[in-house]
Amino acid sequence: MNDVLVGRALAKRFGQTVALGGVDIAVRAGEAVAIMGPSGSGKSTLLHCLAGIMKPDAGEVHLLGQRIDAMGERKRSALRRTRFGFVFQFGQLLPELPAEENVALPLMLGGVPRTQAVRQAREWFAPLGLQGMEGRRPGELSGGQAQRVAIARALVTKPAVVFADEPTGALDQQTGHGTMRLLVEATRHNGASLIVVTHDPNVAGWCDRTVEVRDGLLLTTGVHA
Amino acid sequence: MNLDLTWRLLKGGGRRGLLGTWLTLGAVAVSTALLLFAVAANFAFDARADRGAWRNPVPAGDGAAVAIEASRFDYVRDQAITVVDLAALKDGVPAPPGLPRFPKPGEVWLSPALAELTRELPADQFADRYPNRAGVLGDAGLVHPDELVAVVGHEPDAPAMVAARSDDWIVGKEPTKVASLAGTPGEDAEAYKALALVASVLMVVPLLVFGGAAARLTVARRDQRLATLRLVGATPGQVVAMTVAEAVLVALAGALAGAVVFALAVPLLARIEIQGGPWFVADLFPSLTDLGAVVVAVPLLVGLSAVIGLQRVVVSPLGVAKRETPPAMRFVRVLVLLAVLAVFPMLTKGTSVAIVAVALALAFLCLNLAGPWVVGLIGRITAAGARGPARLLAGRRLVDDPRSAWRTVSGVALTGFVAGFLGLLSPDAFTTQSGSPQLSVTAPPGQVERVADQARERLAAAEVTATVESRERVVVAALGSSADAATVDRARTALAGLVPGRTPTTEADEQRFGIQILDDIRVGTVVVLSVSFLVAIASAGITAASSILDRRQTYGLLRLAGTPLEVLDRARRSETLIPLAVMGGGAILVGVFCAMPFMMGSISTVGVITLAGCVVAGFAGVIGAGAMSRPLLRSVTADPAPRPD
Repeated sequence: MNDVLVGRALAKRFGQTVALGGVDIAVRAGEAVAIMGPSGSGKSTLLHCLAGIMKPDAGEVHLLGQRIDAMGERKRSALRRTRFGFVFQFGQLLPELPAEENVALPLMLGGVPRTQAVRQAREWFAPLGLQGMEGRRPGELSGGQAQRVAIARALVTKPAVVFADEPTGALDQQTGHGTMRLLVEATRHNGASLIVVTHDPNVAGWCDRTVEVRDGLLLTTGVHA
Repeated sequence: MNLDLTWRLLKGGGRRGLLGTWLTLGAVAVSTALLLFAVAANFAFDARADRGAWRNPVPAGDGAAVAIEASRFDYVRDQAITVVDLAALKDGVPAPPGLPRFPKPGEVWLSPALAELTRELPADQFADRYPNRAGVLGDAGLVHPDELVAVVGHEPDAPAMVAARSDDWIVGKEPTKVASLAGTPGEDAEAYKALALVASVLMVVPLLVFGGAAARLTVARRDQRLATLRLVGATPGQVVAMTVAEAVLVALAGALAGAVVFALAVPLLARIEIQGGPWFVADLFPSLTDLGAVVVAVPLLVGLSAVIGLQRVVVSPLGVAKRETPPAMRFVRVLVLLAVLAVFPMLTKGTSVAIVAVALALAFLCLNLAGPWVVGLIGRITAAGARGPARLLAGRRLVDDPRSAWRTVSGVALTGFVAGFLGLLSPDAFTTQSGSPQLSVTAPPGQVERVADQARERLAAAEVTATVESRERVVVAALGSSADAATVDRARTALAGLVPGRTPTTEADEQRFGIQILDDIRVGTVVVLSVSFLVAIASAGITAASSILDRRQTYGLLRLAGTPLEVLDRARRSETLIPLAVMGGGAILVGVFCAMPFMMGSISTVGVITLAGCVVAGFAGVIGAGAMSRPLLRSVTADPAPRPD
């Protein structure tokens, strides 16, 4: 009933390779869903289709009842900027900007004045254990710190859904554990849904439910009973 | 082994890696072609000076004289004719350059262009001045193919060989006894060679900067990979060897391509008119030795520049791999520029051209040294004052890599310096003639009235209406306001030989050499600015494309997070235009400052227009070159999801 994001019969091919073979999935408000599967199974393609990064060849994607896969690039960009947040394995922070400006950037892109955007961004540093890191550049942060800055950036616009692609893939086990805990807690605290792509069962263990992808198909049901 | 690995890395760079390699190759090719032009221009002026040297007689020692040589200028329509009067003092005098033998008394030899004029114009307007035409002068005796030259043979005691000539060395040479017709390059030829040297310095420095930037493109694209190689244990020597090998290989291919482009462009370049005419194509081809030297030197310089660019990777591989805050550049760069600029007020118009050329080159290089520091400062100011994301991104990028931002704008900034320098050196010193035309000739002392009477008779016989009067030693024939160019030439022809060794001239004729030199300075300015602009715009285009390739991950992720492409375009534009406005304007002012000691009179309108045109064309060129890379930005961000997983 309160599904935030719904994908219906999603299909995508890359040349002869079938990345998605007709996938149905639904995510509820505040729910954390892990998408698991081996390399090349189609899990990242599913995430990209749900996030409006990639258009599926067939099927539909709805966000809060609004169909988004049929939108033009400009509208999908605006949607990604305002309703979605992203956390990736590495490289998502702009190396030229200090941490606080990296976090403030999505707000500024949405038209928030710089001083206000930076002030709002700074509020995220203490809860995520990043006090004193505001002025550091990404190259001067550890991998775990950089991921926490990325989490702050993903949540600063108060998105409906946060997408995370192998968010702990570049971290050691202990740091990865801490990062996942922060990601799930912060997302839940903000009322956002979380979709995590991973091949690590420990990461999936932090989520409310896990769907498994193999050869472009879901092995377990993606929708609620 | 290093070479093998280098070749594998070069080939394995993928489509975008190869695009970067092509960009470098293209940049080096453009640099080489223009460098060859700058080098060839000097040799071409040398060749002209050598071919014209025989008309500038060197007085012979006692008893060594074999001939008498004198020269003057004649005029037809709006063109000057060099008239060389020769008389042999003994038999068997060697032939002057371009002639099969020494001219006999009464004989006239004409250059091909002048011979053509004798056929085109009515005889009473021109050909009658040069009767007894014996043949055509060969190329060896001509400064340029369209030059108008007449060689007239005389007896040694003929009036033309003993009469005094003009007091002004520019418009005539006194009869001089010579031991040979080898001569020596004239003062005007030496002046042109000096100007060519200054123009070369103005062209070569931005070319070297551009070539260096091209080499650093290779390094910039490779630094991550080379840093990784260092991390896995490659020695600094191996890293340097691999990078230099790659840069030199690409640059060698670029240099050869540039040589071919230059060779193909020579026939077009030969049409540029300086000293009153175009060029012999052979003059613009450097010798094989010079060509080889440039083709070898360019890759070596590119290799050297690559080594300098690699210092950060070799010294601190983690610094590049982790992208720490780059160390701030030192203010001493600006101090060095200020120190060099302090020298200019001490220079004067009398300062040796070599010293001026060295000072100019130093000012140019120091401007290039101070550029990145100023760009960094501009970046900090831009970022601090930014309200929107585009300005913030632009400012932060300028702070992050001021050298790269400077590479984009340095071409236009350095062109601004050239424009600022040359803008003041082309004053409108000469005004156009007003009133009715009149011909004047200086009569020998005591013969003014006789010459005036003869002039009246000759003009009446030629049916030219004129009022002839004498003013001190000068006989003036006023031709009336209705006299056209044909009438003036009929009058000139009628008065030819009236005073041996002297030519009746109009006011315009007397200003012709000044006008010619200023015209040539303007042509030279346009050539230097064109070369600088080609370099600047190519530089801006190549660095813009290269910057997208280098930052494709950043751009891809920004787009993925929903950043509109317009914001990225605005950021890229700001990243270029803000430093361009500051540095371009600053460089123009520095150029103007450097030119002030050499100013000839007031600031010229043409110079200001050239300067304004330079600024507009520079901005338009850089914006255009940047806009050309927009499709590349769309291409690299079109698929922000890199894996089909």
